[in-house]
Amino acid sequence: MPQAFVDESGVAPESLVLLAQRGDRAAFAELIGQHYDLIYRTAYKWSGNRSDAEDIAQDVCVKLGSVLGSFDNRSAFSSWLYRITLNAVRDMQRARTRRGRHVDALAQVSPEDYPPDQEDATAARELWAAVRALPEKQRDAVLLIYVEDLNHAAAADIMGCKETTVSWHIHEAKKTLRGLL
Amino acid sequence: MSNDMQNDPLSRLKSAPVPPASPSARERALAASLVAFDAAQNADAKKTLSPAQGSGWLNRLKSMINPKEGIWTMDMRIPLGTAAVALLLLPLGYQLYSSTAITPVSTGTNELTVVTENQPVPPVDAAKSEAVVDEKDTEIQMLQPRFDPNLIDGVEKPDGAAGTMVMAEESAPVEAQSMALAVGTVDQPAIVNGDMEPMAPMTMAAPQTQARTMVGSGEGGMIIAPDAGGMIVTPDPSGDEFTEFVESPLKVVKEEPVSTFSIDVDTASYSYVRRSLVDGYLPDADAVRIEEMINYFSYDYQAPDSAETPFSQNVTVFPTPWNPKTQIIQIGIKGYVPPAAERKPANLVFLIDTSGSMDEPDKLPLLKRSFGLLVDTLSANDTVSIVAYAGSAGTVLNPTKAKDKAQILAALDNLAAGGSTAGAEGITLAYQLAEQNKVADGVNRVILATDGDFNVGIDDPEDLVDFIKTKRDGGVFLSVLGFGRGNLDDATMQALAQNGNGNAAYIDTFREAQKVLVEQGGANLQTIAKDVKIQVEFNPAFVSEYRLIGYETRALNREDFNNDKVDAGEIGAGHTVTALYEITPVGSGAELVDPLRYGSDTAADGTVAPVGGELAFLKLRYKAPEGDVSKLIEMPIAADSALADIARASDDARWATAVAAFSQKLKGSNYGGTMTWDQIRDLAQGARGSDESGYRAEFIQLINSAASISPDQAFDPAGAALPE
Repeated sequence: MPQAFVDESGVAPESLVLLAQRGDRAAFAELIGQHYDLIYRTAYKWSGNRSDAEDIAQDVCVKLGSVLGSFDNRSAFSSWLYRITLNAVRDMQRARTRRGRHVDALAQVSPEDYPPDQEDATAARELWAAVRALPEKQRDAVLLIYVEDLNHAAAADIMGCKETTVSWHIHEAKKTLRGLL
Repeated sequence: MSNDMQNDPLSRLKSAPVPPASPSARERALAASLVAFDAAQNADAKKTLSPAQGSGWLNRLKSMINPKEGIWTMDMRIPLGTAAVALLLLPLGYQLYSSTAITPVSTGTNELTVVTENQPVPPVDAAKSEAVVDEKDTEIQMLQPRFDPNLIDGVEKPDGAAGTMVMAEESAPVEAQSMALAVGTVDQPAIVNGDMEPMAPMTMAAPQTQARTMVGSGEGGMIIAPDAGGMIVTPDPSGDEFTEFVESPLKVVKEEPVSTFSIDVDTASYSYVRRSLVDGYLPDADAVRIEEMINYFSYDYQAPDSAETPFSQNVTVFPTPWNPKTQIIQIGIKGYVPPAAERKPANLVFLIDTSGSMDEPDKLPLLKRSFGLLVDTLSANDTVSIVAYAGSAGTVLNPTKAKDKAQILAALDNLAAGGSTAGAEGITLAYQLAEQNKVADGVNRVILATDGDFNVGIDDPEDLVDFIKTKRDGGVFLSVLGFGRGNLDDATMQALAQNGNGNAAYIDTFREAQKVLVEQGGANLQTIAKDVKIQVEFNPAFVSEYRLIGYETRALNREDFNNDKVDAGEIGAGHTVTALYEITPVGSGAELVDPLRYGSDTAADGTVAPVGGELAFLKLRYKAPEGDVSKLIEMPIAADSALADIARASDDARWATAVAAFSQKLKGSNYGGTMTWDQIRDLAQGARGSDESGYRAEFIQLINSAASISPDQAFDPAGAALPE
């Protein structure tokens, strides 16, 4: 899988960001248009549920409308976007836990998904379910490293911790998942 | 890492498929994000600082704490440089602030900034600064982790609109945080020193910022936030915006014998003030435009007989209730009311804001009912079109004759706030429709209804005004109706309506809609004279000083009076316009300006031969609605027409005076503030007249509300200053 959030259209997202920060509505619309799929895909991978992913993606888009001004180019735009998306996922799942529907959400690991056409897809699905059930930090680390294919430094940037902490989360996750691996 | 990926069982995760998002969800998300973006832009335009205080928290957590982390190392420099300068400038800024003539209260933060930047920089007392820092160490450390160097950058970013008050509010936390940084340097010298070498160049970058952030700091030294709060002007509770203006000052007749202004038939200010008072707080002083307060009420002036002279003028002179030595000249104008048969056909385009913010009971629903009322008053041949913008955009109703009322009302009813498409071309579309259906010799008007979002398709306010001016010259006029509170951009409303030869009204209740659109609907739609200007020349033989009450935003230069190129206010069928002057008669002893010691009379003696018995000379200029050349009406005001007692003046004259007194008191005017609420109420009670529509009774209730919100002080000596 290609690294997510790499700009696919050829227009530098950085300049779009700048334009949008200056209040250019069209640039903002284009920026969101370019990144929607990537936000959605991330949200899907994290939540494992299409309608949740759509809701999360919408929340993130709305949030971008108001917080884009605070993006400061310190980290890559993509890292920043990951952070916001991951926060949105977390917020949603916490809200759901509060409402006591967490169990349903996990049970419904994309029932509407494509049929299991390969055997290892079934195994992968179990693994996904287990990974999504990990503690937040461990899950984020595993998904960023293995699914998004980022290096430890980038993951550390997104998660706001040190590289060694990321490695530690991965290690912990592997311990938890030992039975499945 | 990629090595282990080969064998790592977790790498299987990559193979999971992701079903595509549904297109409708995508659309929804994009639309919602744009709404949020617009809201943020609007909010930004009102603030002067760009990043909100809480928005960068993810970064903030780390900047000072962990300098070893690779990517942050570079970024340490600017905050450290700034920190060092903060350390130098903190006592300096404080000293400058307390030892120069910068007055903290009631001065805008902007001005403060300018003053300080020009100050020479005295040498810094290093010992002193350290002492200060040590003392407050503890409090400041608590702030430290929250510091975000970007906030300092934010201060420097010039941001479009200048909301002085907001800026003052926002700057307080910034200061607190820059201080925190300063202390940070002291606390962590060991860590910092390694990276400190490039200090000098950084010092260059930072001082301006620091000077700016420090200045507002107030007496509290290090702990700034509470004190800075003290110098902030009253917080605007609503977020609505008003043009700032300075009350028109007293003029000396010998220096400036001529006063010129444009008429104003708008009433938005009154409705806004009423709403504020009913809700229990005093309106912003800039929201109170006295002429609009006075002109909200209709006055029973004698109407002209024919369309030949489109309006009549009435002048009364009587003593001022708040100052027995001065007099009031009341100038009343009433527009001709054409009989129903003469009514011109109307071609109206409603341009309606359907942005998400309109989704409140006092906005879109009220707007629908209001326009419903207006549609009811139209005659069968009038045309109505509806264009929506901001939310769901585009033509909602193609030009439809008013006899198909059901169709128009159904289209209105279908409007919903917060639709999905970005509606940019609203205003051009509206004007296109108006032009396609233009009725020659009729009323062609776009009526813009909004709660303050003017993203009608032309972003630059100046371009928008130009566009409206061009269309106005082409014969399509514009009126603006404001709804709701919290987002209202009164300044833009006024600017657009004035340039579109229309009026701006603020509709807060259904009753107000009835007044604006039905009772005065004819007046607001049927312009009978445009560019109406008034010029009064005072006779220095009788009048030593004068002051125009209100009309600050409508003042014209003396030479503009005869210049037909200069735009001025319009008067509609049956409109009444009232203007009040407070004059100081010669020798009354009430002059506020001392006579000149040297050669004061030369100007008067040399040129002005006092015309016997004339107090002043009134001139009016107007153009026919389609005309380009102005006509002149002249009228002397006789000195002996002055009434000896205000009680002899007509109800209308006293009523207008009471409204003026109320407005002046409400906005804390420099003049006429000596009346108590009770006295104003008594004056108004006595001038109520028949008041069939009940608007005057409502005004008296407003006086009571204002009196309870801001009671007169017990020791108020007002009674002594007033004639009984």
